[in-house]
Amino acid sequence: MSPRLLPLLLLLPLISPFSLPSVLPALPLHSSSASSSASSSASSSALFAVDFDVAILGCGVGGHAAALHASSQGLSCAVFTAADVGGTCVNRGCVPSKALLAASGRVRDMQDADHLGMFGIKVEGGVTYEREKIAKHARDLANNVKGNLENSLKAKGVELIHGRGVLKGEGEVLDEASGRTYTAGSIILAPGSVPFVPPGVTVDEKTVYTSDGALNLDFVPEWVAIIGSGYIGLEFSDVYTALGSEVTFIEALPNLMPTFDREIAKQAERMLIRPRAIDSRLGVFASEVTPGIPGKKPCTVKMIDAKTKEHVETLEVDAVMVATGRVPNTNNMGLEDVGITTNRGFVPVNENMQVLTEEGGDVVPDVYCIGDANGKMMLAHAASAQGISAVENIVGRTHAVEHEAIPAACFTHPEIAMVGLTEEQAVERSGKEGWKLGKSQASFKANSKALAEGEGAGIAKVLFNEDTGKVVGVHIIGIHAADLIQECANAVACGTTVKELSMLVHTHPTLCEVLDEAFKGAVGMSAH
Amino acid sequence: MLAEIAMPALSSTMKEGRLVEWLVSEGDAVSAGDPLATIESDKADMELESFEDGVLAKILVQEGEMAAVGRPIALTAESEAEVAAVVAAFEAASSSEASSEGAAAPASAPASAPASPTPSSAPAASSAPAPPSVPFESIFMPALSSTMTEGKVVSWEVSPGDPIATGDPLLTVESDKADMEVEHLGVDGFLAAVIVEADGTAQVGVPLAVIAENEADIPALQAYAESLAGAPAPAAAAPAPSIPAPSPPPATPSSTSPSPPPGARTVGGRTVASPLARKLAEERGVDLSLVSGSGPAGRVTVSDVEAFKSASPASPAAASSPGSSHVPAAGVVAATPSARAAAKKAKLDLSSLPGTGEFGRVTLRDVQLATGEASKFPPPAAAAGRAPLPSGTVPYSGMQRAVASNMEATLSVPVFRVSRLVNMDRFEALYARLKLKGVSLSALLTKAVAVAAERHPIMNSAHDAAVGGIKYNADINVANAVALEGGLITPVSKNANLRSVEDLAAEWKELISKAKTNTLRPDEYNSGTIAITNLGMFGVSDFDAVLPVGMGTILALGGTMDAVVPDPGAVLGLRKTRQMKVTATCDHRPIYGSDTAVFLKTLAKIIEDECETVL
Repeated sequence: MSPRLLPLLLLLPLISPFSLPSVLPALPLHSSSASSSASSSASSSALFAVDFDVAILGCGVGGHAAALHASSQGLSCAVFTAADVGGTCVNRGCVPSKALLAASGRVRDMQDADHLGMFGIKVEGGVTYEREKIAKHARDLANNVKGNLENSLKAKGVELIHGRGVLKGEGEVLDEASGRTYTAGSIILAPGSVPFVPPGVTVDEKTVYTSDGALNLDFVPEWVAIIGSGYIGLEFSDVYTALGSEVTFIEALPNLMPTFDREIAKQAERMLIRPRAIDSRLGVFASEVTPGIPGKKPCTVKMIDAKTKEHVETLEVDAVMVATGRVPNTNNMGLEDVGITTNRGFVPVNENMQVLTEEGGDVVPDVYCIGDANGKMMLAHAASAQGISAVENIVGRTHAVEHEAIPAACFTHPEIAMVGLTEEQAVERSGKEGWKLGKSQASFKANSKALAEGEGAGIAKVLFNEDTGKVVGVHIIGIHAADLIQECANAVACGTTVKELSMLVHTHPTLCEVLDEAFKGAVGMSAH
Repeated sequence: MLAEIAMPALSSTMKEGRLVEWLVSEGDAVSAGDPLATIESDKADMELESFEDGVLAKILVQEGEMAAVGRPIALTAESEAEVAAVVAAFEAASSSEASSEGAAAPASAPASAPASPTPSSAPAASSAPAPPSVPFESIFMPALSSTMTEGKVVSWEVSPGDPIATGDPLLTVESDKADMEVEHLGVDGFLAAVIVEADGTAQVGVPLAVIAENEADIPALQAYAESLAGAPAPAAAAPAPSIPAPSPPPATPSSTSPSPPPGARTVGGRTVASPLARKLAEERGVDLSLVSGSGPAGRVTVSDVEAFKSASPASPAAASSPGSSHVPAAGVVAATPSARAAAKKAKLDLSSLPGTGEFGRVTLRDVQLATGEASKFPPPAAAAGRAPLPSGTVPYSGMQRAVASNMEATLSVPVFRVSRLVNMDRFEALYARLKLKGVSLSALLTKAVAVAAERHPIMNSAHDAAVGGIKYNADINVANAVALEGGLITPVSKNANLRSVEDLAAEWKELISKAKTNTLRPDEYNSGTIAITNLGMFGVSDFDAVLPVGMGTILALGGTMDAVVPDPGAVLGLRKTRQMKVTATCDHRPIYGSDTAVFLKTLAKIIEDECETVL
């Protein structure tokens, strides 16, 4: 029985389960919104005959954030975790890749004799590394973060169910591992995504691999082809070239890094591609990729023209990384059985993360979907934000995530970070909506800290609405860009104007001053 | 429907902008997103894109003109049929405002304006630069900021011969503010020639490169570019500019089997070759992109093709490393990305290189070994194909044998050495003057030593073993040591104390050329009475020499170096000066230390104080 059938349900989000009876009368009553409802304690759950107030299907960072928030709101909560706690981000994504980037970045730094020479530092005898230990560092880090994540759930009293959860009908979730069915007041789908493998590509996860296999760093190939030049491909090209591999990008579109702001993509090409042992084939599909055997047989990559579909070239390389995006992991979780029609696997949701029967369809009561599976924004922190937002809606505080204020970063050396619209999108939108787009740009070359580091390459550009002064997008490429983007994301989220930003004091001498310069430039001031 | 395109605000501080270039013409259909014009703001050149689909009805602001932000710069119409109505409507609305219909030609549009094909009767290439009568564009140093007056070319992103399309990155320019990438905004074509190379600087508006619309025009434009760059214009080799070179299909390595596609190894590469060279290459099946050109701007000439043909083994089968049995599939270029790039740059045929990489793949190091480039990293222990260091014994040549035995003979001579610093300020000033008359430094030094020896005859003497005494020499014959390929010889300036420096210099020139051709008469190299050896030109500070048998003195001259010496008269009590260290090696049987010391004092005095009068 679902709690939504009880019209007089009281929403008591802030009460601890143990204090329910005594404080109940004193609490202000929340009026119930049509689609959200919750009971506030395990005992009340039992009263309404549900096992949990909230059942979360999937334990990636999205599910984790939702569980913590649900728990903090006094909801009883279970997380169904199929494979591993932490999901893609912790086990096969952001976290271990940062370990590889950290290690390889140091190798790159220490091999850069010119750069070190500027500091008067000399590394005699060359830099060596142990691949196994770099791989172990990534593995250890993932396990460590995974352990912390699991402990934090336990500490909050969240029940961890080690089985894949499948929707069984209204308010029912089947644990595939135990065969037991649980009931829940609300269900949050957070199954995440898996790497997309284009047709014709045979993945053995040894010589032809997705990011899953790449993170094992089983070997450092002399030559690796990377299919796709998005974030993942770019980060791995950074790892590989630092460790001595050569890279060939295979990109179906006519430009590298097609999803990036064009200007940033061009800068990235200048800093991250051209000076390195990287070349590319653009406008081609890898139509047939066959795994090899290290030392015995190379991998073959047949490429066809993206337009004419004619064979253009065949490469024989040591390894192929498939980084052509990710697809939702929503098969066989009972979506069809409860009347949900996915769009290429993505679960349709409204802005409150409520699942819809189909794209633009009706709300499916008490079912939410967050993270990669809804395709809104396939980023770990977006999933977290959506998870928290879903719980907010469950407890009756209507909330929508502002996706345009969610920053993103690519952890190359140097880093790329962005929030909001690309310049291309901003031009289009300003034209459509009839406001004037302003642009202000600052260079790392003019920043004392960047120069002290010998890292003067890069730019930060701020796009803003000249009529309102509000920031609509910021794009940074340069040292520590990923750490710099936050104040811009906050500005976008809070609607801070460039005028206000230009008057905020930035620490000297820090890289933040690059942004200070851009903000000041936006209002006709000079930073120096 | 009338729609105006207004001068956009490209930065927050921009008040007005200059129309650098129209990228579309009146009557052209434009789609949203199409680049319309290049606008120069106070910060940078930027492209203005169309926001709507339609037809460019009328251009109101011509290239080179300024317009305030917001002022209409062009009119668009929804369709071609509406163009006339749109223009009429606009003119009616602003009847007083002079649209620049009749406003003559734009004054000067610095960026990428196609040069009009002047039917110039292009004279011989050596005369003033006349643009060739082929369609081309020049790339100019852009103004990347309002304060930029000149810029430095950091790097070229394309090489001469490369095809280039609108939007492709052309070069990186360092302005007074930042490095910026300059994109090609003109017609699709080929980078014909670079006028200002990387690291060169140029004023804003100065041409940096020339873009050819047709590949065949590249040679003509290269000649033109060279004349602009001030380099000697190619004379005979340059083909007549207006004759388009025949563009034969790329040479293919013998047909039949599924041979590699010709483009595989020359991706994007376009080769500049004289028409005759192209023809020859075609006849002989030589891939021009692999031939390194010795002509102007690297152009491939007929002799290059001939030389390549005879030198290249031209075995298309990719080399496999001994350890790998793998044979690359048809059409596969077994080379890593950086090896490909390096080979293309060095114009090396990848298939002719031994590959040491995985599966016999050619690596960057393999290419670097082939080009002789020093590797950045220490070579792997057992790098195959490495040029071996010499080992084993090579017998002496005749001259080397003579030197060896002469050196052994010196071991029985008791020698001592005395050094002294000599101030060279006045001597160098003198040399600077006399240099114009063809007087060499060695002639001056020879004369100085000879004059000093005249005042101290003991230094010009030798040990006479037969008699047991000092053998004085009436002639002062100064022997100067000269290093030869595989040897050493000491041509002699006879009676140097009596002759003018001009005379000595002229004779010395002759002696050197004789020495180099092994045509010195014995009298010209074994009649020395005092010797000089000079390693100053190598930056040597000081050294000592072995005294040749039969002479009493040899002077080893170090380099003339900057020095700071105490000078009570100078501002800080210190004065910068130029010094040379002279080290004399003498036979202690006829000559004593005090003799040498006094001699060196005299030599120093001559060089320091008397050089103008004595020499």
